[in-house]
Amino acid sequence: MLVWTVRRILVSLVLIWIVATVIFTVIHLVPGDPAELLLSSGGMAPDPAAVAELRERLGLDRPFLEQYGAFLSGLLRGDLGASMIDEYPVIDEVLLRLPRTLELIAAGAILAVLIGIPVGTQAALRRGTVFDRATSATAALLLAVPIFVVGTLLVLVFAQWLRWMPAGGYVPLAQDPWQHLTLLTMPALAVAKGLVAVVFRMTRAAVLDSLSRDFVRTARAKGLSPSRILVHHVVRNAIIPVLTVLALHMGTLLGGTVLVEYVFNWPGMSTPLLKAVEARDYPMVVGIVLTISVLFVALNLVMDLVYAALDPRIRHA
Amino acid sequence: MTPTRRSLLAAGAALPFLGAVPARAQRQPGVLRFGLSSFPPSIQPWVNTGTAAATVKLLIYRGLVSFAPDGTLRGELAESWQNENPTTWVFRLRENAVFQNGDRVTSEDIRWNLEQMAAERSTAFYRGQAQRIARIETPDARTVRLVTMEPMVTLPLWFANYHMMMVSPRSPTGAGSLPIGAGPFVLKGQERGVSLDLEPFDRYYKPGLPKLRGVRMIAYADENLRVAALQAGDVDLIEYVPWQAMASIEADPKLRLDAADGPFMYLTFNTTRPHLGDARVRRAIAHAIRREDIVKAAFFGRGSPLEGLPIPPGSPLFDAELATGWRYDPDRARALLAEAGVPNGFSTNILSTAQYGMHKDTAEVVQQHLAAVGIQAELRLPDWATRVTLGNRGQFDISVMGTTTENNDPDGLTNLIDGSLPASYIRSIGLRVPRIEELLAAGRAEFDEAKRRAIYTEMQRIALAEAPIVGLAWRSQGYAMVPEVRGFKALAGALNFFSGITLEETTIG
Repeated sequence: MLVWTVRRILVSLVLIWIVATVIFTVIHLVPGDPAELLLSSGGMAPDPAAVAELRERLGLDRPFLEQYGAFLSGLLRGDLGASMIDEYPVIDEVLLRLPRTLELIAAGAILAVLIGIPVGTQAALRRGTVFDRATSATAALLLAVPIFVVGTLLVLVFAQWLRWMPAGGYVPLAQDPWQHLTLLTMPALAVAKGLVAVVFRMTRAAVLDSLSRDFVRTARAKGLSPSRILVHHVVRNAIIPVLTVLALHMGTLLGGTVLVEYVFNWPGMSTPLLKAVEARDYPMVVGIVLTISVLFVALNLVMDLVYAALDPRIRHA
Repeated sequence: MTPTRRSLLAAGAALPFLGAVPARAQRQPGVLRFGLSSFPPSIQPWVNTGTAAATVKLLIYRGLVSFAPDGTLRGELAESWQNENPTTWVFRLRENAVFQNGDRVTSEDIRWNLEQMAAERSTAFYRGQAQRIARIETPDARTVRLVTMEPMVTLPLWFANYHMMMVSPRSPTGAGSLPIGAGPFVLKGQERGVSLDLEPFDRYYKPGLPKLRGVRMIAYADENLRVAALQAGDVDLIEYVPWQAMASIEADPKLRLDAADGPFMYLTFNTTRPHLGDARVRRAIAHAIRREDIVKAAFFGRGSPLEGLPIPPGSPLFDAELATGWRYDPDRARALLAEAGVPNGFSTNILSTAQYGMHKDTAEVVQQHLAAVGIQAELRLPDWATRVTLGNRGQFDISVMGTTTENNDPDGLTNLIDGSLPASYIRSIGLRVPRIEELLAAGRAEFDEAKRRAIYTEMQRIALAEAPIVGLAWRSQGYAMVPEVRGFKALAGALNFFSGITLEETTIG
């Protein structure tokens, strides 16, 4: 087991190195000069000498391999560098932004579970009824409508018409918890939109599957109450694949909350990534993408280790 | 507690009463909430980091002079200035101007600032201008005498620019530190990427100013959300009002729109490419485009046609006849093409960007009108960063560009049409018109207003014939606010992005 674990960790480290190299190379290959762009803000023409000076200061005048070497050496020391725009350390930016994105995803997932599982279960129990058809159609609609449309509608209805919510923005939890949660509500609903539909569909299918199983028939034959059968036997068995799918979707949301963060002005990790790509802020782009990749790789590693611990066939394969 | 059907129904019934709970932070009396178009990437005072940063800079810093709401120059750190001879300007500093660390603003401080901007390793936007100052004399603590390398009538305009703010030489240095200014507001705190909080500087040199008790600047990158935030009462004033929202804001009695034409769209050419080195072809292109269509398509009718060089109608050097020198005339365009030996037109490409709708829409309208006179243009629409690089390298035939001049003086056109300057994405590539360069230099050196007017009139005539750029459309630049905001004014023409200067006189409530 130990050898297998060490080998698996080494494979993960190699994966991270490959990802880092690919990101670093690709962002440097894309046309666009960070120094030129920074000093050209607002459609202005900067002094070429000032651009040259900034390029030198940012180390952009050095050969690519030298820049790559410096990047790798920094990475080994846990230093992701600093933003080319304002010299802010990338690691600090990530540590500031990542919890906000994770909070948004977690809030969306909680909403998805709270809505998707009960409604999906009811739809399965009332299979073929108006309720089932209506909820299934709603789920299809939720998947089909783009997130920016839902976001804009939420802002229009709750901020502009009803004035129940602010249009968007962010206040730290420590500063004003009520305001923080209020501002989290609409973006969390927007994130939950797609997840609710997925959880609903998976729950409905899994509950239907469980209902036709022998153990349910046996439970009924034993004279257990319908509610006990549903909660303790049907839903409990159905929930495992639902949570697995939900976890996979949450992983993809790490880099996929761009539109929600943009529409609701939620300062998570997607916004600085987008800005950094636009501005060709190399260290920021590489740092953020690498963080997301490391989280994915780490998640996979943990899953592999857990599976291996549970199933000896995997570690002996 | 197990949720029951009854408790869910009760929760649903209570939903409408959520409105009774204050969902948004209460407005603090006297504190203006300003919706910025983006979080400033940096507020370093000498570096160009965009217009949102400029608005913040105009709160924290001050230069020697500034633009008044009517566009004229007025004193700031300098109470007066005069021209001793064609190469010497003298600025007299205020007695009571102090930096926000309490230090008095002295002539030595101004010298230090100019020397830093002009330094070899400087990245200041006005580095080139600062290097044209041959000598800085400081006969006493309140007098700065600037001797320029050549006569420079426009020198005071430099000092009104938000890229030429004066800071304390004793400012903290190092990553993340911000130089100390002498403006009406002090940066109190910031939530990175979200908001900036400013409070009044109690020793600001203008008695009774600023009038606000504070300014909270909140970044809303999405223009529609920025408008929604204003309509929902989350902010009191927003910049960069999207054109499509201007009509609804005007129709809303609870809001007020203050917009003025300022920035503009235009075409540049790579004159090393086939046919585009011929002035007749460039003029043909200028006459082939119906500008009203651009104003409608790209700016929802919020703007006006630009059929000459971008000299705003309010400028003393504006000439109504020359301003329509490139009016829409497709027959004239076809005749010019025939004269240039391409009666059936030719194939070319137009570089623009898909990142900004106004650039893309303008390019599409131009493409259609060029096709109508036989010029088949392929659109190239990369992201903005790539577009800038391709423009700087001259990897295009025709490009769509949008910008504003640095001020309303015609000398501001130098950056756009002076072919002696280094290659840049904002001007045509490979095109030098010596007479235009001579006249621009003469205009900068001429102190007599009538003679200046004659110089720029001649320069415009030559430019209309040579078409070093082709003007397309003025675009409206607007601020929207609740009626309680008083004293804020959108400056006209190229000075629109200087409107933040009026925040010192703004009140709310």
